[in-house]
Amino acid sequence: MTTHAVKLVTIICEALARKPLQQLLDEVGAHGYILFTVEGDGRQGRRTADIREFANIQVEVIVAPAVAEQLLLRLEREFFPKFAMVAHESDVRVLRRDKF
Amino acid sequence: MATDIIQAISTNLLSPAVLFFGLGLIAALLKSDLKFPEALYVTLTIYLLAALGFKGGVAISEAGIATVFLPAVAAMALGAVIPLWIYPLLRFGGRLRPVDAAAVAAHYGSVSAVTFITATNYLKGINEPYENYATAFLAVMESPAIVVGVVLGKMSLGPQPGIFGGSLRKVLHEALLGRSVFLLFGTLVAGALCGKAGMDRVEPFFVGPFQGVLALFLLEMGLVAGRRLEDLKKVGPFLVAFAIVLPLLHGFLGVVVGKYAGLSVGGTTLMGVLAASASYIAAPAAMRLSLPDANPALYLTPSLAVTFPFNVGIGIPIYYAFARYLVS
Repeated sequence: MTTHAVKLVTIICEALARKPLQQLLDEVGAHGYILFTVEGDGRQGRRTADIREFANIQVEVIVAPAVAEQLLLRLEREFFPKFAMVAHESDVRVLRRDKF
Repeated sequence: MATDIIQAISTNLLSPAVLFFGLGLIAALLKSDLKFPEALYVTLTIYLLAALGFKGGVAISEAGIATVFLPAVAAMALGAVIPLWIYPLLRFGGRLRPVDAAAVAAHYGSVSAVTFITATNYLKGINEPYENYATAFLAVMESPAIVVGVVLGKMSLGPQPGIFGGSLRKVLHEALLGRSVFLLFGTLVAGALCGKAGMDRVEPFFVGPFQGVLALFLLEMGLVAGRRLEDLKKVGPFLVAFAIVLPLLHGFLGVVVGKYAGLSVGGTTLMGVLAASASYIAAPAAMRLSLPDANPALYLTPSLAVTFPFNVGIGIPIYYAFARYLVS
């Protein structure tokens, strides 16, 4: 079995950042993502997730290393000043490289 | 008039819906683990908006669109102009950044459907008749201020590149096709097309349980508002005072507009309530999308944690007293 090295980028942010974030994922060339509602506590206060709009979302996207770099760069430049947000990348291995 | 107001406030505070709201506030303050599932919140919202819209539509079919037109235009104009004096007031009086002033202005020009529904419930409780088609005013008053606020904010920021820059199209889509406006308009049209005959068929579902559903929903809203009370520290005394004084002024203004639009005491009260209420769902969503530089603590907290509870408990009977005083 051959696996290929790619990046998993995880973004946790306020739910209201969802639409611009989707646009960014499109622009950098991500082929898909998953998203779920999460709650928690951070520097910018507790997110109770009592109403969908006030919740946090976690977005996970698997991309090629170059795309991950581009994505994180633009998140830092364009999103971090405006939204409550955490982003990190990790190394993962996938079977079908062309899918991502 | 003072005894009238006190009497009206105590009647309001002892209604089931407002007591449930208070219960929610207390539960949140005491950090009780009482919590509604998110899906129930959404279901109750859809029920309340659909019932309200449908009933309003039936009322439009009975009153005729010509009767509704003038007060609806007045409501829309009121929503659009309110941000125009809030913006300079906050900018220069409250020393807010331009983009924050614009965002707060959008919230206070826009409306809270829950406050409106609570007000109709109050009028029903005291047997004060009102124009059921007033729902149409609610539907047209949510968006204009959001658009005006976003335009003010974008003007203050200058041209912005990238995802957050550019076209008004996104703002208009968000403001005009947001779920509450869409649902209200859609059910208004459905109600207007069906008329009284249609109402007879859905009445057991949309009218009978309405007050109980509202009470349950206000329990949840009490929890939601109560959880934001601790954020008041971040807001400062100016905005907290603003969040009580401005609704009173706008309530009075709305009552005056309602009177000259030819509405009854009940309808005039509702116009006052709409002018006094502030958005906390539609407007924040539009701001995060179109003016993400504005600080959410400054617009969401005053609107949700101060103005909304104030109106639900005390504001509504005050606007009613204004209306009675002015119209009769």
